[in-house]
Amino acid sequence: MKILFEIFENLKMSFESIIASPLRSFLASLGVMVGISIVILMGWLLDGLDNSFQKTFEIIGADMIYVDKWDWTGGKSWKLLRNRKNLTLEQALKLKENHTSAERVIPNFNQWGGTVQFEKETIEGISVVGAPSENQHTPAGDLIEGRYYTEFEDNQAEQVLVIGYNVYKALFPNGKAVGEIVKMNNRKYEIIGVVRKRGTFMFDFIDNQVFIPINNFIKVYGNKSRSVNIGVKAGSKEKLDEVRTETIGLMRTIRNVKPEAENDFSINETKVFEESIAKIRSIIWLAGIGLTMLSFVVGIIGIMNIMFVSVTERTKEIGIRKSMGAKKRSIWSQFLFESSALTFGGALISIVVCSGLIYVARIAVIKFFPDISEVVEYFPPYLSLQLVIIASSVSIVLGIFAGLIPAIRASNLDPVNALRAD
Amino acid sequence: MESKTVIDIENISKIYEMGTQQVFALRDVSLKIGENEYVALMGPSGSGKSTLMNILGCLDTPTDGKYLFKDENVKEMTDNDLAEIRNREIGFVFQTFNLLPRANAVKNVELPLVYSGMSPSKREELAEQTLINVGLGDRMDHKPNELSGGQRQRVAIARALVTNPAIILADEPTGNLDTKTGDEIMILFNKLWQNGNTIILVTHEEEVAMHAKRIIRMRDGLIESDTENPHFKVK
Repeated sequence: MKILFEIFENLKMSFESIIASPLRSFLASLGVMVGISIVILMGWLLDGLDNSFQKTFEIIGADMIYVDKWDWTGGKSWKLLRNRKNLTLEQALKLKENHTSAERVIPNFNQWGGTVQFEKETIEGISVVGAPSENQHTPAGDLIEGRYYTEFEDNQAEQVLVIGYNVYKALFPNGKAVGEIVKMNNRKYEIIGVVRKRGTFMFDFIDNQVFIPINNFIKVYGNKSRSVNIGVKAGSKEKLDEVRTETIGLMRTIRNVKPEAENDFSINETKVFEESIAKIRSIIWLAGIGLTMLSFVVGIIGIMNIMFVSVTERTKEIGIRKSMGAKKRSIWSQFLFESSALTFGGALISIVVCSGLIYVARIAVIKFFPDISEVVEYFPPYLSLQLVIIASSVSIVLGIFAGLIPAIRASNLDPVNALRAD
Repeated sequence: MESKTVIDIENISKIYEMGTQQVFALRDVSLKIGENEYVALMGPSGSGKSTLMNILGCLDTPTDGKYLFKDENVKEMTDNDLAEIRNREIGFVFQTFNLLPRANAVKNVELPLVYSGMSPSKREELAEQTLINVGLGDRMDHKPNELSGGQRQRVAIARALVTNPAIILADEPTGNLDTKTGDEIMILFNKLWQNGNTIILVTHEEEVAMHAKRIIRMRDGLIESDTENPHFKVK
């Protein structure tokens, strides 16, 4: 109970001492405020990035691997990749036939740089994907309007089209696309479905895809000198390892890869992104930590300085308190409370300011960058409780650091000499 | 009638190191002060009276000798023990009042109680009662700069009294006051003595010392004389 009274008294005293000279207190804790703000904003930024990466995994499919001539990691030389033999549709169908662990095996072709035209509107840079009707069971099959083509339509190589969200937005700003006839690369197609928006600001191109039956693709664009991309759906993340192993084994057999030779194809999956994301995260952290440390050092020096001034100014008060029976503990805890209250107050101000900044930033992005306004969805409008707790506790630790030496100096003052001070 | 001994010092010395020189502030001083005595410690500046007061008040420790405070050996005490003795047993009254400028009268009087760990409500009650006893019932919420010198010293006296200490150590309590106000303060001390308090008055002024019942004169770190004051009057 005694200790509680003393803590309460210390809290009161530090608060009184801070508000006695508000400007001085504010300036003293400015460095800490900057540091805490960097921590908060960095944490918030990483939260947002995590969210959008998470979203990206969902687009690509966390339970999917893609067998491809090309490699997502960028770790292999372009020459080596180019010299690989194309993956053929026949190989893909063999894989599909023999695969026992995969839920689905879905080959598809890609044609880049297409154009889609509707009445006077044109969109360029379209990627035409030829895929079987089974493709509707991948993330690309999530429609907001219409339907996917059927197996029958695929077999008939019908001129039907499922469009990505960017195409939809560009050509049909007023909605209602299904049933319309568009010209794609100068051929008429009927739109039968629209895919839900999948891209984030990082994977925007994915919404520039349009899907047509694979047999139509072969008829129009041909499959000679083209490599097929094979999507293998495991069904769950847990089954990925098993499915990957079987896929590699089957593909090596199908493509007659000699036992000692390397794979002549790549297995692409979201894991690749997870690795590069970890890299981005650590770069942001390192940059942030560097800045934070710098401002914390400046901040601690600022607080320490003001605490030394405070001890000097209040030498007489310390003498009075000691003559009234204050123990060393009472004196140093008083100054530690004060320095921690300064930094904690700084943290509170930082939290309020950063919340304001985040709020304004979100509005500004929506207003001035409408093209990427959906970014805002991934960056939370408020600071997470975790961030607030981290910022507050870090600030208190900083305060204790900064106040330690001045507090010890104060508590060691000789009462007789301290009483003599002016 | 032999009263109970509160302070018992034997052969106390205090040596200050000034560079390579040793300065004796006190040499082999012995002294006993009993309960409910009213003592004046008198001497010119440099006589060692302030050093003695600091030692008696447990603000400082002697270099040599024995100091028993209520039969407890002060010399062997830790800083914390000394702080507790100051808190419980000693009430200081200073020449310059030494009040906390930002705190009002009640808060100032509460200060020693804060360090004895009393609850805020009890503290306030006790502080207010003590302020009424020294005649400041109508000045409780005033800060030191809103009080006259005499009133400030009364607050300081209330602060010294509030823990009901074994001794009150007053260091030139009238030094910063005009004669009339100083007399009033001396009357207050006389009343406190009559109420059973033990008072040690430190002063260099003959007139002030004349208010005490026993006068100890110091010179050059030694006790020159220790006599009853023949002119002492109960006021």
